[in-house]
Amino acid sequence: MSKNEEMANPGIDPSFWRGMTQPRISRRQALGYAGAGALSTLLWDTMAGASSLPNASMGTKSWWAKQKLHHTVNFANWPYYIDVLKGKHPSLEHFTSTTGIAVNYSEVIQDNASFYQKIRPSLAAGQSTGYDIIVMTSNNPQLGYLIELGWLVPLDHAMMTNYEKNAGPLIKSPSWDPGNKYTMAWQSGWTAVGYNSKLVKSPGNSVDILFSKKYAGRVGMMSDVNELGSVGLLAIGVEPATSTEKDWSKAATKLQLQKSDGIVAGYYDQSYIEHLKNGDTVVSQVWSGDIFQADLNSKYKDLVLMIPQEGAMLWTDNMCIPIHAANPKDAMTIMDYYYGPQAQAVVEYYNDYICPVPSAKQALLHPSGWEATALRSLKTEIGLAYSVTADSSIVFPTPQRVKESKNYYQFKSQEEINAWNALFLPIIQGA
Amino acid sequence: MERSVPTHHPRSIGRSHSRAKWGKRLSPYLLSLPAGLWLLLLFLVPLFIMLSMSLKTCSPASGQCYMTWNWGELPHQVSLYRAQFYTSLLFAACATLIDLVISFPIAYWIAFYGGRRKNFFLIMLLVPFFVSFIIRTLVWEFILSNNGFVLSFLRNSHLVSANFHVLGTGFAVIAGLAYNYLPFTALPLYVAIERIDRRVLDAAHDLYANRRAAFMRVILPLAVPGIFAAFLLTFIPAFGDYVNQEILGGTANTMIGTVIQNQFLINSDYAGGASLSVVLLAVSLIGIWAYARVLGSRAIEEYI
Repeated sequence: MSKNEEMANPGIDPSFWRGMTQPRISRRQALGYAGAGALSTLLWDTMAGASSLPNASMGTKSWWAKQKLHHTVNFANWPYYIDVLKGKHPSLEHFTSTTGIAVNYSEVIQDNASFYQKIRPSLAAGQSTGYDIIVMTSNNPQLGYLIELGWLVPLDHAMMTNYEKNAGPLIKSPSWDPGNKYTMAWQSGWTAVGYNSKLVKSPGNSVDILFSKKYAGRVGMMSDVNELGSVGLLAIGVEPATSTEKDWSKAATKLQLQKSDGIVAGYYDQSYIEHLKNGDTVVSQVWSGDIFQADLNSKYKDLVLMIPQEGAMLWTDNMCIPIHAANPKDAMTIMDYYYGPQAQAVVEYYNDYICPVPSAKQALLHPSGWEATALRSLKTEIGLAYSVTADSSIVFPTPQRVKESKNYYQFKSQEEINAWNALFLPIIQGA
Repeated sequence: MERSVPTHHPRSIGRSHSRAKWGKRLSPYLLSLPAGLWLLLLFLVPLFIMLSMSLKTCSPASGQCYMTWNWGELPHQVSLYRAQFYTSLLFAACATLIDLVISFPIAYWIAFYGGRRKNFFLIMLLVPFFVSFIIRTLVWEFILSNNGFVLSFLRNSHLVSANFHVLGTGFAVIAGLAYNYLPFTALPLYVAIERIDRRVLDAAHDLYANRRAAFMRVILPLAVPGIFAAFLLTFIPAFGDYVNQEILGGTANTMIGTVIQNQFLINSDYAGGASLSVVLLAVSLIGIWAYARVLGSRAIEEYI
């Protein structure tokens, strides 16, 4: 009898729990959201053509003459790319104090492809991305897409006085943007090999270390298809810049084998450096400046940069102004500010990438103005002599070193990009 | 269970008769119109868009897509990512099995022995899941990381080798899936077991069934719809899941959900992503169809 009573009053009505899980509704809702997304893409498909056309006069002399300073600028950049002192950026602070332009500096770019994917819907819909400056890499197709589609504001050369005076030959009027119509370099760098010298005793001087079974499961590779494919080409002894589709598939086989042998710990975006720091990986593909920055912390002193004998890939990150940016004139102001040797000296002392301004070397060795104060306070944290950076061939490269570095393959058509992706993407997102 | 049988009124004749006949014919459709519209707008239209997307060619630069009737994309994508489909199937199946094995005793115990504290026990089961899905998974990543306190302790006490790691392995992904989808298994099971009429069990004992026989021949068969519902509710989302793999997995165990996500959000390959989604959906629909065939569509309504 008591059992029957219990049955009549079984605690909570089971339908309540059914309601709690609500799978039927939630699945439909999920499909509904998917539907809304798909519908919006459908609409966007039909409208994009019309609304994404930029204003024809944009970027002309008369257009720039009409622009005004708004005393604010939104700067989207990659992490670990600017001087940092106790959570602040001395070079940005000096810029704000002299020009009155407040800088919203956000480190939101982790890789070119996914960042492009984030800003593209706004650009296609004719809206502002929310950023006045974005930084895109020369080795990826996305920068080319932005230029081809007219989604970048042509720069105002009248506001590029520092640039004209100080920009180095490495980045002035580069192949990807002749005459600097749309871009100014932020920094350049090499994609090379980094390793933990405490755990890797005989690194040698070749990219072969990335394929060595000795470090199985502890090798970090990059999730960027261009970086991954290029190192594969170097490993099979082919110049990436002059490679053919046949070479690509050979490189892909080599990389596929590297993965199936269990050598690769992971394919990483900017997070590769964290994995190298915390010991998940002991050897990794790295970007040159990151290792120097990591070395600043005594915990990571063992990380070493190796420029392999096969060569290191040379790239440049470029500042550019996406269309519909709210503050283009403020953007021009800060872009040119970073072509002053003083500002570059402060940035370089911290980040150790390739400096776009050769004269920053002198500013770093003999600081005199505001940069002397900024550098002095940075030195309390970094603890290295200015000359370590100034004399580094990684920061101020000799012409010989530049000549030895390797260029990426320049894609000539979308078909080539697709062929490249079809070979290397399945490795990165492989099973 | 009983169905309402439409009764034919003997006095409805002539003109009113034909009108009534029309009305009678149309009424089921009219009554199901809201549900039909819902399905059309939120299921069939998106499905159609996804299907058509898989036949288009999209520009990775502008993101614009043009219909090119590219039927080759689907088999091409499947051949490229077949292994990831198998991985997903395997992981989802393992996670579902683990969940069933863990949940059944729990649900059984709460339903039969929970007494007046049933609600309390159910809430206890659910409390961990009040925290967001992503955060729970990220915390597991933190706990199980190579230099995290668990592995550091195990390594320092020489219980595991220096190279031992959990993150990045298929085991970690399966464990994450099993953990995250546990309530989706436990609750339908509880509902199914809870509604088993105790008198049937009494009858089994009266007929000299021992406990084992009563369980195997009475409780388990009666819980089968719940088991199947739990299976669907766990397996289907786990099959398409990418969060666990992204956070806990490594390079050798990419699931199809991760590939789809990358195709859409990184590689701008909408046609490829849509093709893979179509296949994923087809597999899920086959599961639901099989369920409906075996247990009847009514049973789905009861539990889902």
